[in-house]
Amino acid sequence: MMVPIFTLKLNHKINPRMVSVGKFDGVHPCLTAATQAGKVFIHNPHDRGQRPATHRLSKSTHDSDISLLNINQAVTCLTAGTLGPNTTGDTLLVGSQTNLLAYDVHDNTDVFYRDVTDGANAIVLGKLGDISSPLAIIGGNCALQGFDYEGNDHFWTVTGDNVRSLVLCDFTGDGKNELLVGSEDFDIRVFKEDQLVSEMSENETVTSLCHMHGSRFGYALANGTVGVYDRTARYWRIKSKNHAMSIHAFDLNADGVVELITGWSNGKIDARSDRTGEVIFKDNFSSSVAAVVEGDYRLDGQKQLICTSIEGEVRGYLPASKDFKGNLMDSNTEQDLIRELSQRRQNLLLELRNYEENAKGVSQANSTMGVIPANTQLQTALSVRAATEAQRAHVELSISTPNETIIRAVLIFAEGIFEGESHVVHPSVQNLSGCVQVPIVPPKDIPVDLHIKAFVGGRTSTQFHVFEITRQLPRFSMYEIIEDSSAAPPAGIVSFSINERPQRVVMWLNQNFLLPEVVESPNVTFNSLRGGGFMSFHMASNGQITLRTDDIDLAGDLVQSLTSFLAIEDLSVEADFPSYFEELRTTLTEVDEFHSVHQKLTADMADHSNYIRNMLVQAEDARLMADMVTTKKRYRELYDLNRDLINEYKIRSNNHNALLARLKSVNQAIQRAGRLRVGKPKNQVIAACRDAIKSNNVNGLFRIMRAGAASS
Amino acid sequence: MELNLHRVDYTQVGVTSQKTMRLLPALGKKATQKVAIADHDGVITCFGMKRGEAVPVFKSLPGPKISRMDLGGAVGTPQEKIFVCSGSQVRGFTKKGKQFLTFDANLTENINAMNVSGADLFVCASYIYNHYCDCKDQDYFLCGDKINDITCLSSEKLPHLLPVLACQDRVLRVLQGSELAYDVEVPGPPSVLELYNKNGGEEVLYGTTDGKIGLVQITDCAAATKWEIENEKKKGGILCIDNYDIVGDGVNDILVGRDDGTVEVYGFDSSNEPMLRFEHVLTESVTSIQGGCVGKESYDEVLTATYTGWVTGLTTEPQRADAAAGDEVRMSKETQSKIEALRAELEQLQIKVLQGRENYQQTSQSSTAVSAVPIFNINDKFTLCEDDASYSLTLEVQTAIDNLLLQSDVPIDLLDVDKNSAVVSFSECDSEQPNGNFLLATYRCQANTTRLELKVRSIEGQYGTLQAYITPRLQPKTCQVRQYQIKPLSLHQRTHSIDPDRPMNQLSLVGQFSFAEIHSWVVFCLPEVPEKTPAGESVTFYFQNTFLGTQLEAAYCKGEGRFKSDNISTISILRDVLSKEATKKKINLNISYDINEDSVGHTLRMIHPKLEYQLLLAKKVQLIDALKELQVHEGNADFLIPEYRSILDESADLLEEYKKQPAHLERLYGMITDLFIDNFKFKGQNVKTKVSSLLEILDNYDLDSLLDFFSEP
Repeated sequence: MMVPIFTLKLNHKINPRMVSVGKFDGVHPCLTAATQAGKVFIHNPHDRGQRPATHRLSKSTHDSDISLLNINQAVTCLTAGTLGPNTTGDTLLVGSQTNLLAYDVHDNTDVFYRDVTDGANAIVLGKLGDISSPLAIIGGNCALQGFDYEGNDHFWTVTGDNVRSLVLCDFTGDGKNELLVGSEDFDIRVFKEDQLVSEMSENETVTSLCHMHGSRFGYALANGTVGVYDRTARYWRIKSKNHAMSIHAFDLNADGVVELITGWSNGKIDARSDRTGEVIFKDNFSSSVAAVVEGDYRLDGQKQLICTSIEGEVRGYLPASKDFKGNLMDSNTEQDLIRELSQRRQNLLLELRNYEENAKGVSQANSTMGVIPANTQLQTALSVRAATEAQRAHVELSISTPNETIIRAVLIFAEGIFEGESHVVHPSVQNLSGCVQVPIVPPKDIPVDLHIKAFVGGRTSTQFHVFEITRQLPRFSMYEIIEDSSAAPPAGIVSFSINERPQRVVMWLNQNFLLPEVVESPNVTFNSLRGGGFMSFHMASNGQITLRTDDIDLAGDLVQSLTSFLAIEDLSVEADFPSYFEELRTTLTEVDEFHSVHQKLTADMADHSNYIRNMLVQAEDARLMADMVTTKKRYRELYDLNRDLINEYKIRSNNHNALLARLKSVNQAIQRAGRLRVGKPKNQVIAACRDAIKSNNVNGLFRIMRAGAASS
Repeated sequence: MELNLHRVDYTQVGVTSQKTMRLLPALGKKATQKVAIADHDGVITCFGMKRGEAVPVFKSLPGPKISRMDLGGAVGTPQEKIFVCSGSQVRGFTKKGKQFLTFDANLTENINAMNVSGADLFVCASYIYNHYCDCKDQDYFLCGDKINDITCLSSEKLPHLLPVLACQDRVLRVLQGSELAYDVEVPGPPSVLELYNKNGGEEVLYGTTDGKIGLVQITDCAAATKWEIENEKKKGGILCIDNYDIVGDGVNDILVGRDDGTVEVYGFDSSNEPMLRFEHVLTESVTSIQGGCVGKESYDEVLTATYTGWVTGLTTEPQRADAAAGDEVRMSKETQSKIEALRAELEQLQIKVLQGRENYQQTSQSSTAVSAVPIFNINDKFTLCEDDASYSLTLEVQTAIDNLLLQSDVPIDLLDVDKNSAVVSFSECDSEQPNGNFLLATYRCQANTTRLELKVRSIEGQYGTLQAYITPRLQPKTCQVRQYQIKPLSLHQRTHSIDPDRPMNQLSLVGQFSFAEIHSWVVFCLPEVPEKTPAGESVTFYFQNTFLGTQLEAAYCKGEGRFKSDNISTISILRDVLSKEATKKKINLNISYDINEDSVGHTLRMIHPKLEYQLLLAKKVQLIDALKELQVHEGNADFLIPEYRSILDESADLLEEYKKQPAHLERLYGMITDLFIDNFKFKGQNVKTKVSSLLEILDNYDLDSLLDFFSEP
């Protein structure tokens, strides 16, 4: 059994995922982590000499190895590494909801301090694509920004939703790093500089990403899933009831291949083989794991795996020596193998017994055993149901048995469409029948596999046959086809032309929509059951396709789905969404307003704090002079001022949140405009939109969104 | 813990019941012993170990499920005759496997406990005890509650054999002939009995379903408790006990097997107090345990049998240092041949199974054939935990569980259990009609999970059924449903006596009902009441509320029933349920109550320390983070007042304590609210509108103001 080679109790809480190891003097690795009260601590056990406590840095009073760095803001992300070309050691980068600080710990100076309006939820440091200098890339609310050592932003792009995790890795295998972004809309996106090259859809917020080796990377989701991708293909994944706090790649068994190390919310640490996900090592902390990092902490030339818990416990593990022969757990492989084989034998014997008893027939049948006719087969059907007074619009899955047997319960396991991972229908005893209708409301337009388990038996059975069926729900299932399109067509329009036969488009329609019967022509109108109004699809004989809908997201999804079906790489599109654009225009003016309010408030606050300073001096003066009446008066005033300040702070933070929401929707608008196009035109549109916003050219922005970047 | 034992798996048989494996006495000195084990397929397997391989001595033919095994023989000879019981039949086998006895006990129920002692045979069905001598009927006893186990004391000091029954109502009953000599109160429902000294003596070890162990000395007229081991770590219930000197210090150690798979060895310290020496966790219930020598000569071991039929030894034999460094893991020749044999067997089985599958598929073409899959075994337990007043549900299946569906038609809370690795997902349920589901949850189990443990919290007064649908990973896939009643007074537990000095409220029922009818209503309302109508004219049961500590006395006979409790809510729930049940049977009940005005104040004062403690705990826990931040900011905590400093010092304990009792405060609030409403309901007032002001008072809790509010809202 492998044991940690060192254990430390740091007595400081550690914020999850905000841990890094940096060699700030170029030699000694220091564990750096964000802790409570807007502080960052640096644990440096190597250099015990006294250093002056100035500027941001102060020595912790009860542990001489720890220095505290005052950020005065809640830290949201943290990393350390080489940023500048001529620095002796690593630079520490600390992100908060509004700022990014690059700090030289060794020289005790700020390298740069930048306002980042979109916040910094995640940070990664390294080289991206062809950009020559290393960048500190932060992911905020829908936006990605990369800064060099001077604080200039060399990289900017938008992504679908709030960024939660970032990693740099050579995804395409071209020798240059791509940026992998995990976000709250469950997607992992791959950016080759600012060009989106791949997109993988998961079923929960992507909370962590880590590079394994080559094009392989690990990921963790908010629902307890951990897994490994190789490029766009998922290798394996497992799901636990606990949450993965941090993942890291480390070769723990010294076989030359890294394992995926996961730190869990229940304090468990496990190492899993990158190929199979098999656990090769595990250990337990008494509290949740905060982060897993690596570093040569003993300065003996060997990297250690360093695991930290949120209560400040740190453990280091060395890669296993040869003696372990890859067997890090206290297990006996022979015994385990024999046990496994015996278990399999037992299972087979049991199965065999099932068949034998079954073949014997009904001799011992009684009503509780759940005897059913052998030819019972379940029929399933999917259909679209419009809203009625009793029920909202849904997709109906109907399951029925062909004979007098009843369905006791139906379990549906599917990803991303239910609150949990399953949905259960369990009729009461009075309502048992051979037919069950399950209403399904997929929240997003994604294709879903429904794994259905139906318990079939008799009315009084205590044992039931389990029928397992898998049905696929097509991507656009919440749309009902309508025959007469007499209603006014939606104002939103998207048009583009493609070089394809209409039959292929018809095929796409049939595969991606839930249609009562196969359609023959590519000219159809749907009613969105989510309340988005009508959506019509029209294809002219010259390949000109016109989409009419007021829902810009739906239009984007349709364009992306159609082009990937037809394998179209580049597509430029003309689009107009009058109502959405109008909203965006309002949002943009609001952004300006909030900005100016923000500036005014900041100025007010500065005034107030000066005021406080004066007041405090006056009050203390009065106290020293034993003038209690004035002291009291001053302090009372101070108290009032403080209250005002708190109120003002509340206003400020409300204002800030409102501003953030607006900025997010602006970023989303750019993303949406991009999603209407494919390939190069898409990137051009995003870049041009960004420029338009930078130069505050609102009309230009709308022109680009309508016509694409090429015409501008 | 100086004891170091290594695990060795010997063989696997079918599903086993409690106490169905025994070691046959060794022939020579220090020779290995043979193992006899009986399973649910009715097969008795007797084997010995030869060079790491299980060599069968004999194997009987399949038959009905075997529920117990005991060894016996004429007095003075080695006890090497194997006795097993299945159904109402007892059979005896020689150590060679020759059947020499078939004895039909002529009981209507199945035998579930048995003891053989010389020519005497003791068998117990659910409520019935029978004693046979040379297969001739001797004594008979009808027990008030379920009999879980039996043992029999014989000693020179005793004038005759002294049978001891372990009964579900938390007593050991000592019999004398067909009469009850006396009973011994134990702290939990006893599940297993074992003689402390196998060669006679007067001491009996018992284990309870809630995990406690104790030793009692039993004489022909009285009993004395020697020691008890509490179950502080909340491990599983005891299924089997043995004593054997595994440490080798000349004193017999106590070997314990629990239903959560824990195997423990207790030794004795210098003051003769038991202390834990060794612990090992298997993945499934340990049904039988015995000390002896099986695997290798002169190495003692603890032999266990588990629910799915694994026979596993924990041996003192040191594990040989694994293959020399540098080469691949080298397997010993024996294991290799063993593995090869297993693989070959597997392949043959595969072929057979494939055939079976095909045939099964073919029947689906026929319109007359039916598909009937045999019922698989489920080992389940639904018990009230005293400590946190919640129910724990454990399910164990022979093969890996694929998924579990839990459905309830009453509002209950499902709590997370650390040990449980299954992924739970709650499904939306419309508690309104037509389906009336309050809980729909699925557990998707990780591979190789054969045992699941869940915790459920119920609310008194809300009653119904919890159903569990268990689907194992076995083709053709089937699932089985198990039902568990959530009773109206679900948090009550039987006790031996109650405090007579408390102010009590009384509910009296008079009507044209039989003894059996009122008993069935009590069974419906309260847990731990035997289903069978008690013998005699009348009966009295005592209960305690595990959450609040209030008590209930239920005394009833034909045509009359009296229920006394210091908690007015208990009385209110009983009244509602009983009158509803009686109406169902169209029986006219004359209900009267006698409310003691002091009882509410008394109950509130009983809740007071709990509530105050919880409020203080919650307050302290709330402060921890802020104080820690201050400490970090200032560098030390010296400037804080001592109260805050002590919070900082105890922060870990406080958090632990807080985590242990989720929603404790809310539950207390709920019960006080119920008390408030019920109190005024008996006075004929509806005070539901005043609940909000009650909650306000609770938020700024103070006992006096609460008492005032109760007296005059």
